[in-house]
Amino acid sequence: MTAHLAQDSITLYAALAALLLPLLSFAVSTVIRNRFSRVVSLMAPLLLLLSFLCVCFITTQVSMETPFHFQINWFALADKEITFGFLLDTRVTLMMIVVSGISFLVHLYSIGYMAGDPGIKRYFAMLGFFTFSMMGIVMANNLLMIFFFWELVGFSSYQLIGFWNNKPAAAMAATKAFIINRIGDAGFLTGLMILWAYGGSLAIDTINITGIPSPYLTLAGIFIFCGVIGKSAQFPLFTWLPDAMEGPTPVSALIHAATMVAAGVFLLVRVYFLFTSDVLMLIAVVGGITSILGAIGALLHFDIKKILAYSTISQLGFMIMGIGAGDPFASELHLYTHALFKAGLFLCAGSIIHGLHKASVEKSMDVQDIRKMGGLAKRMPVTFLSFLIMAGGLAGIPFSAGFLSKDAILTGLLQGHIIFLIAGFGVSVLTAVYTFRLLWFTFLSKDSLPEFIPREQIKDPIPMMRIVTIILAITSLWLMISWSPVDFNGWISNYAQGGLLINSTLITATSAIVIVFTGLIAYLYFKNKTISKKESNVLLSNFGFDLLYKKIIVTSTLRLSNHTLHFDRRWIDGFIHLAAYAQVAFAHFMGWWDKSIIDGSVNGLAMAARGIGSVTRSFSSGKIQSYILWSMLGLIIFIIWILF
Amino acid sequence: MQHLLSYLIFLPIIVGLLALLIPAVYKSVFRIIALGVSFLQLLVLLLIIQSYSPIGSSFQLIEKASWITLDLGAWGVFKAEYFVGLDGLSFIMVLLSVVILFIAVLSSWNTTQNTKGYFILLLILNGAVLGSFSAKDLLLFYLFFEFMLLPMYFLIGIWGGPRREYASIKFFLYTLLGSILILIVIIGLYSSVKEPGPSVQVVHTFNMEYMKDSNNYVSGSVLNYSEPWIIGVWSARLWAFLFLFIGFAIKLPMVPLHTWLPDAHVEAPTAISVILAALLLKIGGYGLARLAYPVFPDGAVYFSWLIGLMGLISIIYGALNALASKDLKRLIAYSSVSHMGFVLLGLASMTVEGISGAIYQMFSHGILSAMLFLLAGVIYDRTHNRLIENYSGLSSVMKSYTVFIIIAFFASMGLPGFSGFIAEVMILFGAFKSHSVNMLLPEWMAITATLGLILGASYYLWTIQRMFFGPLSVKVPGDLRDLDYREYAMLVPLALVAVLFGIFPQPLLDIINPFANELADTIGRLVKVH
Repeated sequence: MTAHLAQDSITLYAALAALLLPLLSFAVSTVIRNRFSRVVSLMAPLLLLLSFLCVCFITTQVSMETPFHFQINWFALADKEITFGFLLDTRVTLMMIVVSGISFLVHLYSIGYMAGDPGIKRYFAMLGFFTFSMMGIVMANNLLMIFFFWELVGFSSYQLIGFWNNKPAAAMAATKAFIINRIGDAGFLTGLMILWAYGGSLAIDTINITGIPSPYLTLAGIFIFCGVIGKSAQFPLFTWLPDAMEGPTPVSALIHAATMVAAGVFLLVRVYFLFTSDVLMLIAVVGGITSILGAIGALLHFDIKKILAYSTISQLGFMIMGIGAGDPFASELHLYTHALFKAGLFLCAGSIIHGLHKASVEKSMDVQDIRKMGGLAKRMPVTFLSFLIMAGGLAGIPFSAGFLSKDAILTGLLQGHIIFLIAGFGVSVLTAVYTFRLLWFTFLSKDSLPEFIPREQIKDPIPMMRIVTIILAITSLWLMISWSPVDFNGWISNYAQGGLLINSTLITATSAIVIVFTGLIAYLYFKNKTISKKESNVLLSNFGFDLLYKKIIVTSTLRLSNHTLHFDRRWIDGFIHLAAYAQVAFAHFMGWWDKSIIDGSVNGLAMAARGIGSVTRSFSSGKIQSYILWSMLGLIIFIIWILF
Repeated sequence: MQHLLSYLIFLPIIVGLLALLIPAVYKSVFRIIALGVSFLQLLVLLLIIQSYSPIGSSFQLIEKASWITLDLGAWGVFKAEYFVGLDGLSFIMVLLSVVILFIAVLSSWNTTQNTKGYFILLLILNGAVLGSFSAKDLLLFYLFFEFMLLPMYFLIGIWGGPRREYASIKFFLYTLLGSILILIVIIGLYSSVKEPGPSVQVVHTFNMEYMKDSNNYVSGSVLNYSEPWIIGVWSARLWAFLFLFIGFAIKLPMVPLHTWLPDAHVEAPTAISVILAALLLKIGGYGLARLAYPVFPDGAVYFSWLIGLMGLISIIYGALNALASKDLKRLIAYSSVSHMGFVLLGLASMTVEGISGAIYQMFSHGILSAMLFLLAGVIYDRTHNRLIENYSGLSSVMKSYTVFIIIAFFASMGLPGFSGFIAEVMILFGAFKSHSVNMLLPEWMAITATLGLILGASYYLWTIQRMFFGPLSVKVPGDLRDLDYREYAMLVPLALVAVLFGIFPQPLLDIINPFANELADTIGRLVKVH
């Protein structure tokens, strides 16, 4: 440690800068006066660029054998210390590159996209805060710290989904996203309780899993996975993500496609060593269900952002299935490639929405509906080309990075149960189909735009936004992973030492053929087809899960809460009031008792005394006659007493 | 600097009594006096912080003077002392009180009705609160404890809302019931505990320190350890614990003894709500940790399961009621019930994490509930209406207000980065660990308590969604101006404190931990014996 002190301390400063520069961006954007809000849109991307450069520097400083580890004591809990620190190995630095890089690009894109929005300060502030929290999750060396940033990420997501919060739908979506995430987080926290009680530590490198009784270890794994289900929008808690599309599109690109939702996958890889085989099975099953459900959702929706959102759900499920049943590194690889091309796809969608919105000025229309698009390839060529390349990545056609990383997951799935491999192939077929459908009806099919939009007004966005999509498109090519377009073991796996999987030619060939074939069939199918106008209600309510949750959970909780409030009033207060009345009634009774019985008897005695007194008083009334009468009477009584 | 604590306690009381001499027509003098006293107290607090060292669990800044010594012949000597001092628990509470009482004065700044009475009562309340948090002699504690009741009753009953009489009577009666139960135990303790020492005559003492040691109990007395009296199903010691528990649980408040709280809060003026939530509820938790648990650890162990359960019920029941509340202040009041349930759960676990967490939660809730009630007061000040359904889209007109609402609500629901998070994590960790450390609480209690976190997010976010988001529409007349400087001056420090201790908990934990360790040890030894 001492030998590398100088070098290490530079790495430490770089790490701190990478983490804190986005926070600085948040702070400055918050305190700066409204007059200077234009400064924010320059400063924020600049700070993010610096953060990105710091990350690049760190990347060169660590290797898998010598990760950078730094920690200080945060606080003492009972007799143990909870640390606050960074554990940066090569996989972490790759994730940091992805997070800070995409965040920087999205900042850049947002300058154009959000120009003129009155809330631009708040927007950049929360974007910076999000990046800070996300970097925190990635860099953290212990689970409590991960949880700390995990919830902060949820908070920034809440703020950004509800960015246009005077729209009731956006406000609703923000609330829903946070509460559903909270449900997952409650599970995550329970997992941490178990690890704390039995594992004696929460630091990733010192949790003693051999000391944890195996049922508890399984439980801990399941509970931590709950957090992942919430954050990565897995079955059955996926319903918040499609709604989260109410946020600005760059936000959807950064948070709800590339990074935050991927945090769940990242966490699974980070604590992979905790999972028992039962937990892994559960993870694989949940991931598998989600990936298929999401793909079906993407296939049937019409809203361009919702299609991408469902696609994200599906892809995340795919990665999570890969972790559960295959090789975690393969999923990690897919996480990186997916982050790049999905962010890019969202930004392209943003360009389309932005373009149509500008063109259709003064007329309100749903600019996200692919039924009202078509033929945009001619109008927005740059956007189209970028979209095309990245859609290739999503569909996983050869020569894309997505093809290689998908290949890695499928190869990993060879180790698991055959059903997961089948599901994996099923998902890739579905993915190819919905990607083609999206591409076709947005860009290539015949023009279905509303009449009133002047066609010549629909243009590619300003260069700054264009460049961002181009960069993301380039990074979606196979070269990102390795020199060979058919082998996922390349320079990334060398850097991260993840190349434990041998590339399987069988899988590669099969998947290439399947994808090309699927693409062809999809083309033939969609070529002459006009898109159906009908929208299914089941889909609109997230496969009915929204309805289910609303009917069962929300309604019954609200009903229960009304009952408890009623119970408070009727029974507890009722009892108190009854007791009070009883006491008052008793007091009245006592009052009556006092007055009538006690005072009565006292008064009765007094009256008796007075009566007797008045009789005896009359003995000495001062009249001679009555004295003679009484003395005569006395004399007679005396004589009678003597005589008889 | 010998009598710092006495300065702190008696400065407001003496100034309050002297202020009685000032004619009531000088309306604005009284608030300046009150503010001045609170400011001086802040200075004294700084001196106290400077001279307090967080090492060890013994009392510091002790002041002891004989108060009542009566030779009762065959009945021994009746001895009560003026005995104040600070340990970790008291220190945290005194710290909180001085800050909150300062803010309460600021918050009352615009009181117009009978300012003389108001501020003098506030000053007396101030002294009583600090006195009860510092007293180490049981009779002295009880005196201050009861002394708080009186100004509170009048402050709610005279300066309160439309149903103030009902609320103040309810508050008074509930608390009085608790006080009677506590008094019974105090008498029992007095008759059972003697001062250690060679004296031939039995010296009955109210010193709380002596009550912790089983050797100081007169053999054959009501509450002695070895052969306590049996009353009905339980020994006198268990009864005594139960009485103390109920007495303090009313203050806390614990479901089902909580219904005074929403009414008192809804009717009380803002500053009084702040004091009520931030400080008076804490007396309940403080009493449990100071008196009930250390003096009757046997009772604490015996009833721990029940206490944990009651804590859990309070967490969930309070949160559900908050969800159903239509009045903003009532909602916040019920959220207090839910958050104080965590205190009970943490104490019941009897682990170091749980006890530390409970005390941390008391501090954190003190800060956050003060913020919440101040914020509820802001909207009431503007429109004289607190019904949630009357507002929508406030974020577009009251921007800073919305920011503080979001900060306070998220802090209160335990978002990391705020003090509530640290407290709740510690309590949950402690409650879960209890099963594997001392077998007192089953693990499902901690797991179920996380429901409180979800419900907490639900009622707060739903409120934000209804009142602050959506299109602007306000159904009641009023000038919806944003926060003014006075309101910033109250809210900003509180928010900073909440963030500070949410990110750097160690300074507070350094103070709390010695106390928590000692209490957990006491119980730990007892559990091993069984």
